Amino acid sequence: MELLLQTLLNGLLMAGVYALVATGLALSLGVVGIVNFAHGEFLMLGAFLSYLLFAFRGLDPLFALGLAFLAAFLVGALTYWGLIRPVLKAPELNQMLLTFGLSILLQNLALLLFGADTRVVAPPYQAATLALGPFFLGAVPLGAFLLSLALLLSLQLFLTRSRLGLAVRAVAQNRLAPGLLGIEAEGVYLLAFGLAAALAGVAGVMLSVMLYASPSVGFLFTLKSFAIVALAGLGNLKGVVPAALVLALAEALVSTYLPGGGGLVEAVFFLVLFLALVGRAWRGA
Amino acid sequence: MRGILGLLLLFALLPFLPLGAWGAFLLDVGLFILLFTALALSWDLVARTGQLSLAHGAFFGLGAYGAGLMVPHLGTLPALLLGSLLAGAGALLLGSVTLRLHGLYFAIASLAFSEVLRTMALKLPFTGGPIGLPVPPPFGGGWPLASYYLAFAVLLLAVALSLWAERSSFRLAQAATRQSEAVARVLGVRVVRVKLLSLLLGSLVAGLAGGVYAMKALFLNPYEAFSLGRAVEALVIPIFGGLYSTLGPLLGGVVLVGLEQALRLWIQEGYLVVYGALLILAILFLPRGLLGLLGGRRG
Repeated sequence: MELLLQTLLNGLLMAGVYALVATGLALSLGVVGIVNFAHGEFLMLGAFLSYLLFAFRGLDPLFALGLAFLAAFLVGALTYWGLIRPVLKAPELNQMLLTFGLSILLQNLALLLFGADTRVVAPPYQAATLALGPFFLGAVPLGAFLLSLALLLSLQLFLTRSRLGLAVRAVAQNRLAPGLLGIEAEGVYLLAFGLAAALAGVAGVMLSVMLYASPSVGFLFTLKSFAIVALAGLGNLKGVVPAALVLALAEALVSTYLPGGGGLVEAVFFLVLFLALVGRAWRGA
Repeated sequence: MRGILGLLLLFALLPFLPLGAWGAFLLDVGLFILLFTALALSWDLVARTGQLSLAHGAFFGLGAYGAGLMVPHLGTLPALLLGSLLAGAGALLLGSVTLRLHGLYFAIASLAFSEVLRTMALKLPFTGGPIGLPVPPPFGGGWPLASYYLAFAVLLLAVALSLWAERSSFRLAQAATRQSEAVARVLGVRVVRVKLLSLLLGSLVAGLAGGVYAMKALFLNPYEAFSLGRAVEALVIPIFGGLYSTLGPLLGGVVLVGLEQALRLWIQEGYLVVYGALLILAILFLPRGLLGLLGGRRG
């Protein structure tokens, strides 16, 4: 019983980061209408930024969080402006191919620059745990969970309370009407794409401590995020958090209870994705 | 048409051209051009219905492992056939669930499909796992040119399929499906069936190419056989050469695979940077590929 609760607790903590990354993906899909295969690469950027700052400047990853947010926002905005904007009206196939090409380019650029090794950022508090009755919570996963929650809440507030946030939602609902009301769709797209990248960048810093930084770490999270987004319904922001919870709990249960489960965790996201698709096909969506 | 025949003739005669010391190296390069061009044509066949397949690396790997496991028991040709059928079965499984949905679900699921197959090749007890699987050469190794001409046969099949799809009424069904599924339905095109048939044909060719690759490489490991890089090659070649045509992927294959084999002499890992960059540049600036540059007619 205690093992089960501990497993569920670990899954819950992981769900925060998953939701953060997948929300970014859902934002670029729902608002800009772009399937961004390079979403995880913004995460990789944050992870390597955190690693480089830690290894060469001795800077605590806590400082890297803010820097990664800004850097990923900038890279995301530039990506939108230089690459996405020209293909906004192109066929969907071309859009997907473009972001896929960007993903391949960035992954292999990182491979050329840093090699395939995994690098962990190890600040002094990396292994600290808090005891909660009979259960143990890692300080870093707990911090990452709380920060993810705070970021998601502020995004929610931004989208529902601020004028700019309302503009973002208006553009997501209708491509044409907001223009008639004086909302610049281009600016909104830029903001949404930058924000999506920034969320992934922050998640990358967290993962550089919890997991590792490597050229392929982003791609892994692209796949998991797609599974979450497909489960939530494409571009549906509200469904992302419960879907992330389902995936994270399923992964935690598999890795605890299945023999040799460590290697099978990767198949869980596929199973979730596959079941979500089958369900959708049966309902005839 | 003359371009296609010329290129095919060149490949048929390549082993007999007086190339001197470079002969053996060029023959190897030629073989890889044949295989990956066939893979590219099989990807293009699926792309003509507007579907982005990222699973062609997986079909290739299924064919490679299927053939590699069966060769010692069944002989060369039946093993190739079985590998190809295995890839086809994978395609039917993937396609029957995803092809009814909006196109981007297929792209995402095909990507996940290939990731999971690699994990399975690593974990299953009979694949040799991460250590790999040794494969005997075709026909017991008796004829040195066998793998080259098997590869040539695979390309011939791919070209024939592509030409058939280009010249029959199937082309209209594919084009209608690509441009607007709703309109295609109204016109009486059975959209799901067209997409599934295209995917099945594409996967069969990709599986054959994988099988011949296994017999040429003599050794398979999951990272090579199921690499995402294979899917990247399969899609960059037609886009660079010219989408929805037969000559385009042929041209693209000769240029890109030749370039890749040359680049590999200098760079071991990360040569895919070139493919990523080419993909972005081609989408932004050369949407009709090399064919468009040469002023070719669009199919």
